[in-house]
Amino acid sequence: MITFEKVCKSYPGSPEILQNINLEILSGELVFVTGPSGAGKTTLLKLISAIEKPSSGSIIFESQNLSRIKDREIPILRRRFGMIFQDHKLLYDRNCFANVALPLEINNMSLSDMNRRVRAALDKVDLLKKEKMMPITLSGGEQQRLAIARAIVSRPSILIADEPTANLDKEYAEEIMNIFYSFQQVGVTVIISTHELPSTKINFKRLQLNGGSIQNLIGHVQLPS
Amino acid sequence: MFNYLHNHYQAFLNGFSRFINNIGASVMMMIVIGITLCLPSAGLLLIENAGQISQNIEHEAEISIFLDRSVSKDQIDFIDLSLEKNSLIKKIHFEPKLIAWEKLQSKLDVAVSSSVSNNPLPDAFFISLNTLDEIKIQKLLDSLDGIDGIDSVTVDGNWIKKLRIGLSLIKLSVFFIAALLIIVLLVVIGNTIRLQTLTYKDEIEVSKLIGATNAFIQRPFMYTGILYGLGGGIITISILKLSVLGLNATLIKLASIFGNNIIFQDLPHRFYLYIVILAMLIGLISSYISARNSIQRLKIYK
Repeated sequence: MITFEKVCKSYPGSPEILQNINLEILSGELVFVTGPSGAGKTTLLKLISAIEKPSSGSIIFESQNLSRIKDREIPILRRRFGMIFQDHKLLYDRNCFANVALPLEINNMSLSDMNRRVRAALDKVDLLKKEKMMPITLSGGEQQRLAIARAIVSRPSILIADEPTANLDKEYAEEIMNIFYSFQQVGVTVIISTHELPSTKINFKRLQLNGGSIQNLIGHVQLPS
Repeated sequence: MFNYLHNHYQAFLNGFSRFINNIGASVMMMIVIGITLCLPSAGLLLIENAGQISQNIEHEAEISIFLDRSVSKDQIDFIDLSLEKNSLIKKIHFEPKLIAWEKLQSKLDVAVSSSVSNNPLPDAFFISLNTLDEIKIQKLLDSLDGIDGIDSVTVDGNWIKKLRIGLSLIKLSVFFIAALLIIVLLVVIGNTIRLQTLTYKDEIEVSKLIGATNAFIQRPFMYTGILYGLGGGIITISILKLSVLGLNATLIKLASIFGNNIIFQDLPHRFYLYIVILAMLIGLISSYISARNSIQRLKIYK
């Protein structure tokens, strides 16, 4: 589904953030990108979602080379991803429903389909009763669940989450991770960058980054419960 | 199609909510547009009224044809007949030299009139024209030049021509000022929209991250610009209408004192429609340019 071939990324005047990355992510996989701060986890996710372009090498997503993607094709590509950020990136002047509806508005979806899909997404993250509330009134965990609802509402084939549990309590973090697992189990590819692996018993691929290169690529690890 | 319209409806609602959320700034912007557009519009209103006055005067323009002192009765009849045949001539009045002399004497001081023994005035035709077209008048003058018995011809309508040229120049100046003021409005509205893009930077960022095109992001800002224009246009119309009403109220009072029936003519309704359309277009164009440039300049994501 996603293939990195000799991918390097650097910014002018700074050392390479990612060096010679080769990896393959298959459809329906759960991938944890781990590593210390500055290891290049966020950069890797940005490359997948075409927020950044690689300095060299190529990234192939379903036969499309993202390193040569045209600017006007990027919005269309991003609609196929569900993205979740550490700081949620919610719109605080819109209620929960409107936040989740935004990707569907962008997709030019009909009002009836939009209503149905938004309610289903909110129900999935157990926020249906709070659809008219403003995000600022929600707890940190609820805000992250709302961000997940926004990411899944357009039924993307890939979910990309950048440290989604970094600012959450252990209880909330587990809740969020369980939501991701449930999507992976229905065939969605889930890529999560995190400092630490979850303790839940589940199959996943671990991509250990350190100093901009892959230190360890371990496939299908099943964690002890 | 329905989805497309729904998308625009959503963009309009977003634009409207931004307009309402910053209602203070929005009202200020509308007042700025209203007053700025009012200046050239008021100029045009004055020119239209002055133009109408000159149109009324046009039909009173005359050519004076002074005949030779030795002109015969037959020649006078021939000239009269020639003038009657000419379609450019609306009215012909013949003034015999004796009557002209009597009229002059009645106006002059007795001492002056008694010192002049002979009648110095010639017979004359005074004709009113249907047109002030320079070429047509020149043709008429040329045709009169060839007739025996005519000594000289004087066109009395030159001052109207000067008035009309003056009005044309003023009209041109008003259009020039209007063009400058429109540029000013484009800059002012554009700057306000640019500030709005900074206010909504987070929303733009999120929208881009989840796949919004620049056109999708620009749309609400463009609707806000159109709303500014609509409000500004309505303010312009209100100011002009109130001014015309106020002026006419004063003129009616003056008319009752001086006995003149002068009414300040309002502009036609279509003109007011043009003002609103122009204001909305200014809002649309400036917000489009400003939002597009600002979003590109923000460089959040591609």
